[in-house]
Amino acid sequence: MAAASAPGILTRFDLRIEAARQQARQVSVDPLLQKLAESLVLGREEEIQELVAQALRTKDPMQVIAQGLLPGMKEVSRLWSEGAYFLPQVILSSDAMMAGFALCEKKLGRSVEKKAKVVTHTAEGDIHDIGQVIVNALLNAAGFEVVNLGADVPVETVVEACRLHQPIMVTGTALMTTTMTAFPKIAARLKELNLRIPFVCGGGAVSEDYVTSFDFGIWGKEASQAPGMAEDALRGLGWEAMRDKWNG
Amino acid sequence: MKLTGTMAYRSSEEMVFGKALKPVETRGGLRIGGGMVIPELVPHPRPGSEMSLKTLLREFERANQDALERCVAVGHPQVELENEHVFQMTHNPSWGMEVASQTARQLQEFREKYGLQASYRATIADVRRPEMVDLRTSDRAREVLESFEACAPFADIVSIESLGGKELFDHSLIRNDLTGMLFAQAVLGGRDMEWLWRQIVRIAGKHGCIAGGDTDCSQANTAMFMAGGYLSKDVPQTLAALCRAIAASRTLVAYECGATGPGKDCAYENPIVKAITGVPISTEGKTAACAHMSLCGNVMAAVCDLWSNEAVEYHRMFGGTTPAVFVEMLGYDVAAMNAAVALGSQKQYQACLIASDRYRGPHGFMLCPDSAWAIGKAITDNNGSFYSRARAAALKCGELLQSDPKLEFTAFERQSLQGYLLELEGLPSTEEDFIDLCLGKYGKVKGFRPASYGL
Amino acid sequence: MAGLAIAMDLGTSGFRAQAIDRSTGSVISTAITTRHPLPGANVMDHVHFALDLGVETAQRLIIRAANRVLASLGVPLEEVGRLALCGNPTQLALLQGTEIRDLAFAGRRKLRALGVLDQVREARVLEARALPDLDLPVGCEVLIPPAVRHEVGADALAMIIQSGILERDETAISTDFGTNAEMAIVHRRQATTGSSAAGAALEGQHLTFGMLAVPGAISDLEPEPPHHRIVQLDDRMLPIAGSRIDLERPGPIEAGAPRPAGITGTGALAILEQAIDSGLVEPPRISTADARLHLGEEIYLSEEDVVEAGKAIGAVRAGHITLCHEAGIALDQVRTAYISGASGTYVDARKAQRLGLIPPQVRTVYQLGNTSLAMARDLALVPGTLERMSALARQLRQRHCLFGASPVFKRVFLLELAYWVEGMPLSQYREFLARYGLPALRPPSALPQVVRTVERDLGELGRLGLKTVSDPARSVQWRFPGCTGCSLCLADCPEGALSLSGRGAQALISLDPSRCDGVGCRRCERACPEKVFRLDELFRG
Repeated sequence: MAAASAPGILTRFDLRIEAARQQARQVSVDPLLQKLAESLVLGREEEIQELVAQALRTKDPMQVIAQGLLPGMKEVSRLWSEGAYFLPQVILSSDAMMAGFALCEKKLGRSVEKKAKVVTHTAEGDIHDIGQVIVNALLNAAGFEVVNLGADVPVETVVEACRLHQPIMVTGTALMTTTMTAFPKIAARLKELNLRIPFVCGGGAVSEDYVTSFDFGIWGKEASQAPGMAEDALRGLGWEAMRDKWNG
Repeated sequence: MKLTGTMAYRSSEEMVFGKALKPVETRGGLRIGGGMVIPELVPHPRPGSEMSLKTLLREFERANQDALERCVAVGHPQVELENEHVFQMTHNPSWGMEVASQTARQLQEFREKYGLQASYRATIADVRRPEMVDLRTSDRAREVLESFEACAPFADIVSIESLGGKELFDHSLIRNDLTGMLFAQAVLGGRDMEWLWRQIVRIAGKHGCIAGGDTDCSQANTAMFMAGGYLSKDVPQTLAALCRAIAASRTLVAYECGATGPGKDCAYENPIVKAITGVPISTEGKTAACAHMSLCGNVMAAVCDLWSNEAVEYHRMFGGTTPAVFVEMLGYDVAAMNAAVALGSQKQYQACLIASDRYRGPHGFMLCPDSAWAIGKAITDNNGSFYSRARAAALKCGELLQSDPKLEFTAFERQSLQGYLLELEGLPSTEEDFIDLCLGKYGKVKGFRPASYGL
Repeated sequence: MAGLAIAMDLGTSGFRAQAIDRSTGSVISTAITTRHPLPGANVMDHVHFALDLGVETAQRLIIRAANRVLASLGVPLEEVGRLALCGNPTQLALLQGTEIRDLAFAGRRKLRALGVLDQVREARVLEARALPDLDLPVGCEVLIPPAVRHEVGADALAMIIQSGILERDETAISTDFGTNAEMAIVHRRQATTGSSAAGAALEGQHLTFGMLAVPGAISDLEPEPPHHRIVQLDDRMLPIAGSRIDLERPGPIEAGAPRPAGITGTGALAILEQAIDSGLVEPPRISTADARLHLGEEIYLSEEDVVEAGKAIGAVRAGHITLCHEAGIALDQVRTAYISGASGTYVDARKAQRLGLIPPQVRTVYQLGNTSLAMARDLALVPGTLERMSALARQLRQRHCLFGASPVFKRVFLLELAYWVEGMPLSQYREFLARYGLPALRPPSALPQVVRTVERDLGELGRLGLKTVSDPARSVQWRFPGCTGCSLCLADCPEGALSLSGRGAQALISLDPSRCDGVGCRRCERACPEKVFRLDELFRG
C-alpha cells in the first residue's frame, strides 16, 4: 500500500544509519590518504607507520601531514567532542599521529612548524604521570609542540627548559602533596628570570587554592582542559587573565 | 484594534487535520499545517530540578534526548518539542535562554545525525500574577518580555499562556457567576492580550522566530477541569462549555495582533480559532490524559495540525522514560492520521474521531468542527467589541447545545444552561455599559486592579 | 608483673588497640580513635606534615594519641610487658621518629639525590623508653614488624598472613580496602604484591556526607522494592535496619531511629551499586531531578561523590588487572578473594563484586576484618611471629609491582577514568583490554559465597568493651601578634578545625590538629587579612 512509505508517516532511520556508516567521512580525495586518516581515527599506530611510509614513496611529506594526518586527527577531536570517543581513543590516535609525523619529518629532514611550544612535566619526586600523559596527547593532537620533560623533574630542569624553549605555557602534574611544593619554587624562579609564562598545575592532591596562591599559577581541574588553555595562551592571554577565566 | 469580521473557512467541511489555510514553516524545517500532522511533545521537569540552572538544564537535556532518540528508534519522521517554562526560567530570563539554546543544539545534532525534522517551541511562563502585581508596569511584566527576547533567538516558536483576567475569573467561577467570567475573559483578558501580543509579535519578528499563539488555559481549562467528568458536581459542564466559547474571543486576539500560529495545545478553543483565522493549531486529547481528564479525547484531533500531550513530568516507566513513551504514542496517533491523508480517507477518519465524542458531553459537542465553525461565525458577525463577540459566542454555543436532542443533560445541567442563557440575554448591548456594570459590581474584588487593563 | 600485652594497629584513618591477658590470650578491652591525630587524610599528608614541621613534632602527636588510647583501655599500664604494633610504614616510621623522606617521594632520581634510595625497613624490637613519653613501663618491649617496600608495609604482610592465602593451592587475591589498597595475588603459592592509591573515598572520606565507620553511620543499603532500606551501625558497631528511603527524593518514607550521621565508604559503595542497578546512575551522571541520591533528610551522594568513589573503585580494579597480568594469569582464574580493613569487613561483598572491587569469577569471598590488629595480637602472643613476617617480607620484595611506574597500570587506570569520569561504556573498556592484550574483564556470572570470619572489623572487644577516643589530638591554642579576632580563618577552614576565644587583641586561636586538612591546605593562612596567621606555629604548640 502506498501509505506506508509516504513521507511524513514513517522514516526508516535504521536504513539511513546503515548508509551513513558504510561511508566514512571523506577527508581526502586521495584513496591512500583517506585510508591513512581512517586508520588514524581507529588509532592503529603500526598501520599508520606502514601507510605513511607507503605514501611517502610518491607524495610530499607536507601533503601527507596536511591531507592525511591532520584531517584524521580533526575527525578524532570531533568524535571526542560529540561524546562518541573517550580519552583512551584520543590518546591512541594522538600517539599514532606522532608516529606518522616522525616519519614525515625524517623524510623532510627538519621538524614541521607547530602552533607553539608547551613544556610539560611531573613534579620532582613524583612518578604519577597519568595526568601528564593525557595532557601531552591532547596538546599533540591540537597541534602544539610538546616539550615533554617526563616525571620526577627537578625545579631547575623545568626552569632551564622554559628559558631555552620560551614556551607559551608550562604544565606541572603532581599526585603527592609532598611533591607539589616544587610548583611555587618553579614559579618564583620563572619570576626571577622574568619569564612570565602561564604555569598550569594539576593532579590528585593539587587544589585550586594552592595553585592560585602563587604568581603565574593556574589550576588545571581536568587534563582535558589543557588544549583550551594552550589556545588561550597562544592568543596572548596572560596568566592573570587565564586564571580569571579558568579558575574561581 | 479592528476585530475580525470574516471567516477563513467557508464551511467546516473544508477543515481537516494536518492542513491549515495559512501554514507556517519553522527555521528547523517543519511545515506546520502543510498537509501532515506533527506530534508536539511537552516534557515537564521533576520538582527539585529547578533547584539550580545546572540540574534544570540536565533535566531538559535528558528529557529531550529520550524523546528524540525514541522518534529515531520507532521511525517518527517529525517532531516538535515544547518546553513550558517553570517559574525560575522566566523569572531569570537567562535560564530560559540557556534551556532554549541547549535544546536548539540538541535538535541540530539530531537533524545532522539522522535527518530527523524537529523544532522547538518555548512557552514563556506568565509570572505576572494579576492579583499581586501590575500587569504592565511591574518587574514581573518586564521579566516576561525579557524572556521572550532571550528565547526568541534560539526557539523556532514562542508562546505564552497569559493570565489577564484570571484574578476576577477565579472569584466568579467559584460563584458560578457567568457575567463575571465573561468580563474577566473577554474584556480584561482581551485587553491584556492586546497589550502583550503586540510586543511579543515585534520581539519574535526581530529574531526571525514564529509568534505562535496563546490559550485561555488559566480560565477556560480551570472551568473544564472543575466541571470534570460524569461524577463531578462543582461546576456544571454547560457552564464550562459557555466559558470555552467565550475563550475563543480572547485567544483570537493574539492572531489579530499578528501571531501566525501554531496555536497553543491546551487552547481547546483552537478549532473555533482555526475556523476564523485559518492558522495552524496544536491540540491535545486522549494522549494528554497524563495531565488531566477530558470528555473530548478524540474529537480534539479532528482539525489539529500539531498533536500534543499537554505536559508530562519526567519519570521512568516500563517502556522507558515518560518523554520517550509519550512521544511514541503521539507519533503513532499522528501516523494513523497521516496515513488516512495518504489514503485519501481523512474525512472518514475525521468522522470517526468526531462521532466517538460528539455526544460525550457539552465540550465534545461544541468543539466538533461544525459547532466550532458556527460559534466562530457568531464571533465574526458580532465584531463590535471583545464583549459583543464573546457574548454572541456564548449565546450561539448555548443555542447549539439545546438544538441536538441526542446530546443529553441531567436535569441540573439543563436548568443551569437555561439560567445562563437568560443571564446573557439580560446583559447590556454595548461594551461601555457592560464595563460600567462590571466595574460597579466587581470594582472592590480583592486583587482586581482596573488600571492593569487600561480601564 | 608484665602479665599484660597491648596489640595496636596504627592506621591512616585512626589507631586501634586491644589489651590482652598474656596468660590466657584473651582480649580484655578495646579502644579506638575516630581520627588520626595528624592533620590530613592520607599518608602523604602525614609525611608532608612531618617534612614541614619535623619528624619530632609528628612523633610527639602520635605518641600522645597512642597514650590516650592506652589510657582508654582501662587496664593497669604498669603491668604491660609487651606492645605489639602493626600498621603501614609511614605510621610506624613516624612513631619511631625514623627516616621518612623515602616515603615522601617516589621518583628514583629525587630519592637518590636525597640519599634515601631503596631504604629497607626490617623488624625491630625496642625498649619502651626508646619512644619518648610513651606511657609504658621500663622494660616493656615494643615489637615493630618489617615492611616489603616503601608503600607496602606490615599491614599488607598482616593481610597475607592472616588470610592464610599462601598455605592453600588456589588462585586467590587479597585486598585491603583502604586509602592505599594493598593487594596480593597468589598463584601456585607465589605472591605478587602491589599497592594502589585508591584515595580516601573507600573509608568514607572526601565524600559530601562521608565519615569513617562509627556508630550512626550508614554502612549499607538494601533494596526494598520499590524503595530502599538504610543499614547503619549501632553503638556496638553492628549493622541494624534504619529508615526506608527513596533515593530520588529527600526525606525518609518510614523513619527509623536514630537518624544517621553520615555515610561510610561501604555505605557509599552500596548506594552506588544499588543506584547503578536501578538505573539512577550511569557514571558519572545521577539521573534524579536534582542530581543527588537521597538517604533521608539532608544526606545524599552527589555526582562529585560518584566520581570520587568511582576513582577509588577504578584504582582497585586497575590494580587487580595489573597484578593478574604480572602473574601471567587471567582475571577469571581468580576464584577466591580475601578482603580486609574496616571497609572490607562491612562491605556487602556481592555488591562490591558487581561494582568491580572483586574479580568477576570469584566464587568465595572471605571478609577478614582488621587483619592489622589481628596481626598485632599474634605478635603480642605468639613467639616467632616477627621472624615469620620478616621472612615473608624478604620473599615478597622479589615480586612487587610498583603501580605508579607500571605502564600496564597506567593504561588500565586510564580506562577506569574514562569509564567513571567520562562515561565511556563498559563494552569499550573491554575492547580496549583486548586490544592491549590485557586480562579480559567479564561480567560476574554467579553470586559468590560469602564467609565472614569476624562480626566486626575489630573482632572480640573483650569483657571491658569498646572505648572510643574522639579527640586523639589535644587542641593547641595560640595568640598571633597582630591578630584582630576577625574569625575569617574560622570561616575558611573546610574542616571546622579552628575555634576562637577572646576578642580583639586578646583573641586566642585554637586548632584541633586531628581535624585539620594538613599543610597542603593552609586556607586559614591565606584567609588572614592581617597576614599574621602561622599554621606551623600552632602545630609546634
